[in-house]
Amino acid sequence: MKFIKKQIPLAIVMVTGLLMVASYYIPHKYSVDYVELMNKWENIVSAFAFLLGLVSLFYSHYGKIKRKADGWGYSLFVYIGFLAMVVPAMMTDGRQMVDGQVTSLGWSFRYIYNALSSTMFAVLAFYIVSTAYRSFRIKSRQAFVLFVAAFVLILGKVPLGQMIWDSLLGWTGQGVADIIEWIMQVPAVAGKRGIMIGIAIGAIVTSLKIIFGIEKQYMGKD
Amino acid sequence: MSETWMIAGGWMAAGLTIFLFSFLYRDNPFFKAAEHLYLGAGMGWWFQVYLFNIWKPKVWEPLLSGDFFVLIPAVLGLSLVTQFIPRISWISRYGFTFMMGYGAGLAIPATLSTDFMSQIAGAIQPFTALATMTPMMIFNSLVVAGGTICVLFYFFFSVEHKGAVKKISNIGIYFLMIYFGAAFGNTVMARFSLLYGRFDDLYTFSGANYFYASQILLIALVAYFILHSFLGGKKTEEEEPAH
Repeated sequence: MKFIKKQIPLAIVMVTGLLMVASYYIPHKYSVDYVELMNKWENIVSAFAFLLGLVSLFYSHYGKIKRKADGWGYSLFVYIGFLAMVVPAMMTDGRQMVDGQVTSLGWSFRYIYNALSSTMFAVLAFYIVSTAYRSFRIKSRQAFVLFVAAFVLILGKVPLGQMIWDSLLGWTGQGVADIIEWIMQVPAVAGKRGIMIGIAIGAIVTSLKIIFGIEKQYMGKD
Repeated sequence: MSETWMIAGGWMAAGLTIFLFSFLYRDNPFFKAAEHLYLGAGMGWWFQVYLFNIWKPKVWEPLLSGDFFVLIPAVLGLSLVTQFIPRISWISRYGFTFMMGYGAGLAIPATLSTDFMSQIAGAIQPFTALATMTPMMIFNSLVVAGGTICVLFYFFFSVEHKGAVKKISNIGIYFLMIYFGAAFGNTVMARFSLLYGRFDDLYTFSGANYFYASQILLIALVAYFILHSFLGGKKTEEEEPAH
């Protein structure tokens, strides 16, 4: 049983992983076909992984409704929202436009999903500013540098900021847009590059640990 | 879509937008309803994306045409659902290990070429064209290369950070702070552009052709808050003011 429960899954991860790595470096038709096939398979498996999340969400909200837990009425809206997208999708075969006309799926996407998702992220604008106000205490030189970089970037991207810059520092001959471009192209790139190289090393090492079965926490217990 | 549907859409979008924004004042039933609706709509949207882009064309149609090879990933995928049955949940390992193997195998060459080699090349390459570079370009290239090295020193924990190493890693912190500041500034501006978009939509739906949807819904919500504070009065645990 241990063979079926543990060793075959570990063999799957190792064979799939090593063949994927090898396929990248072997310029042959077979390796290209293999990568294409694996991409297709991965799409299918990921789609079922989504189903796992969906069933889990529905099960959790069904439990709340069944138990009449606090705020159970809101759980109904999860199902309403789901149906508001899926029913039109079934009716239109997943098309948002037909002959230049917006379908019922296009309507649901534009007036329900898009309105909700963009507002949800837009609300974060207020919280980001509020958090920044509370956390931007310039206690050190490093914090000051962070503040200046953020401030110049925010200031330079609004017309009022550009006007203030031009009236105060216009004599330098440098527009705020030039300064922003320099920050983004030079010192920010240096910081980002260091982080990306670090992440890359970490990702490669973790991937090797997964392929060779050293890291297997994702398999759970037993 | 008829004009009536467009007007109904305007009311729907304006209502949902205002309900979500109402959280800025305090938590309330309208926000919670819209929040749960978003969760369901998001799942519904991705469900139909997977249905019409993966399950139907990549599983169902090949099966109907006799290509039973797709049963392998389908069974691997279905194995994930056994997570809900504790007695046989180990079967889900087959699907998970496939995804992990694929992801790990793909990550090694992809990360090596894009995030590792390309970044090192990007820091070094400008120096191959020194003769054609202006003094400012040379200075910038030196700052990028030097800054990258300083940041790497900051993340290098195999030696104790003291003496020269500490000084170099301290310079690295400044480059990191500039990057974090720039990233923060960009995030703020991206969120604000979304905010302008929502305000623009609310402005559109406030027109006579939408029967003043934004104004009416906004007034109705304000009236609810006023009535609630006078009549309901008592603040429940769930309806804390937003911070």
